[in-house]
Amino acid sequence: MEASKRQDLLTLMADKMNRAVRLYLENCSRCGTCIDACHAYASTRDIRFSAVGRAQNVRRLFENYFRVTGKIAPWLNDAETLDEAWMDKLYETAFSCTGCRRCMVYCPFGIDTQQIQAIAKALLIGMDMDPKPLTMRARGEIDKAKNLELTRQKLEKELTGVKAELLEKYPSLEGKEIVPLDKEGANILFVSMVEKPSIASGAAILNAAGESWSLSYFEAVNFGAFAGNANMSEQIYGRIVAEAERLRVKELVICECGTAYRIMKHIIGKRSFRVISILELVNRYLTEGRIKLDKSSIEGTVTYHDPCQIARNSGVYEAPRNVIRAFTDSFVEMIPNRSENWCCGGGGGLVIAQEPEFRMMTSRVKADQIRAAGADILATACEMCLAQLKDLNDEFELETDVKLVSDLVYEALVFS
Amino acid sequence: MVNAFWYFVMVPMVYISVIWCLVGIVVRIAQVVREPRPPHTLRIFRDDETPEDPLGAGLGAAFLDALTMPSIRRYQPVFWVFLMIFHVSLLVLVVAHLDILPQINILSAESQHMLGNGSVGVFFTVSLAYFLLRRFKGPVREVSVASDYLLLVLLLSIAITGDVISWGNSWTEQGFVITKQEFGQYMTGLLTLSFADPLKLLPGTHYVVIGTHVLLVNLLLIFLPFSNLMHTCFSVPLNALRRG
Ligand code: SF4
Ligand code: SF4
Repeated sequence: MEASKRQDLLTLMADKMNRAVRLYLENCSRCGTCIDACHAYASTRDIRFSAVGRAQNVRRLFENYFRVTGKIAPWLNDAETLDEAWMDKLYETAFSCTGCRRCMVYCPFGIDTQQIQAIAKALLIGMDMDPKPLTMRARGEIDKAKNLELTRQKLEKELTGVKAELLEKYPSLEGKEIVPLDKEGANILFVSMVEKPSIASGAAILNAAGESWSLSYFEAVNFGAFAGNANMSEQIYGRIVAEAERLRVKELVICECGTAYRIMKHIIGKRSFRVISILELVNRYLTEGRIKLDKSSIEGTVTYHDPCQIARNSGVYEAPRNVIRAFTDSFVEMIPNRSENWCCGGGGGLVIAQEPEFRMMTSRVKADQIRAAGADILATACEMCLAQLKDLNDEFELETDVKLVSDLVYEALVFS
Repeated sequence: MVNAFWYFVMVPMVYISVIWCLVGIVVRIAQVVREPRPPHTLRIFRDDETPEDPLGAGLGAAFLDALTMPSIRRYQPVFWVFLMIFHVSLLVLVVAHLDILPQINILSAESQHMLGNGSVGVFFTVSLAYFLLRRFKGPVREVSVASDYLLLVLLLSIAITGDVISWGNSWTEQGFVITKQEFGQYMTGLLTLSFADPLKLLPGTHYVVIGTHVLLVNLLLIFLPFSNLMHTCFSVPLNALRRG
């Protein structure tokens, strides 16, 4: 690697530094408590895929270029030179980490592996080694905001199908504005996946509750965040923030997308609107008696997979459970659950950035956990988890029906 | 020449090491503080079902996390037992060393023993031996680096020489070779910057063991600001970040 290139990369690394990151890099005692926390390690017993194993790849660079001990006695903490071979190692461990932060629950210091891997991802972007399927999708998301007319045309095409489906299911919607767009002063801006299933279930719930709402032009998912590209991530969520502020909505409701929810809830800072997830909203409607669910429409036992970004990393634990209990009396918990739930193995954009073989190999513990729950339906609240859990279901022949909670709500919805 | 070496170790080097250590700690803390704050919360959200203490967010809860290490207690209970033995005995040993000073009388001034009659040092040593052995097996071995072993060997050597001083010193036909009161005079000399020769205060063959103990502690103080023992200072803020 040329010296000037290395220097550029080290500048990127320095830019990533803040109080927390420095503490995370400097204070690991390599006690190994986090090792068993990672689904990838637990499934493969390969130390490279443990939290500390991954973090050491970044920490060893930090030792070499940012700490005096690395300069005086590089052998002391295994200081490492930044070169092409090391960049390959960074790729291997950064894009096999889902950023689930389960290891953070185990670590006595609460070291955040996701933050450390963000450094690795920044260096990979600097070397043009970022996973192109993620970056290309991120670029596509940004472009949507640049050509709003084209975006609107495409969305309206999608909405034709949604409206037809809802009208067929609920004829009483005839003559009503089934999926409002650009509705200024609405209570809610609903951010879906801009695909028929995601819009349809959300629209059905919002209409059933008689809500004043508007559908966002943009999809919730943030591929910039998955790629570790802070700049792209900001542009992507910025589109939605601008839309919500333009329409002066009171609440921004995020569909079942874990990363989007965490970004909007905890990363964008204080805004003029409140952020909640669709399942928190459904829970509220149920409590207020604004919607009703028919328990006879969902058959079999239901279990729930807590998506890492919604549960452990955002604190939404009980709302999805309350919603599930509203449409079934046969709810069983997966063990472990809530903050200790195993990651599905597909988060952090891995569903797109990683080969299915790798995702299956590193998620065996998740498959075992689902099998042990023995439920007929596996419900979750994140589209990325959904895709990964469906793959696991097929690969490990788990014989469960993998669904989003909102889709089950849609099935059980009593529309008056 | 030999006496001059031990004098250097037991007097000037103690001052140099302590000052070095304090300055080093301040520099390390400053390196962290001068960095910008993290742009958003890094909190892990606890739930109602998984065991947690009732303190919620805030420094008090983070302090309790740092002190009692609930995650290790839950996920690695054997390791946690040894960690607790280590940390509690370390705390008692610090107090016991202070008690050697004539001005502090937790035990009576006439007592020949240190606080704990030497037993605390044994607990300390055993826990360190466990930590070291743990680094030689399983996945922990795969992630350990040279400084992890070096630090433990250093601490273990300090513990063993300390044990020898506590136990060997009293296992002679004449009873204590060097009394607690004599140790007290040496430490008072250090505190009052008297630069007195410790050889005159601490007579007998045990002088070399005491010198070695002090030398190792000096080395530890010099190494401390660069080592992960700095978690002593940073464990609370780290846990506060997780608590949010
Ligand atoms: S649990 Fe924390 S301190 Fe221990 S090895 Fe893992 S990251 Fe390091
Ligand atoms: S954040 Fe999740 S995937 Fe990454 S190392 Fe930690 S436990 Fe493993």
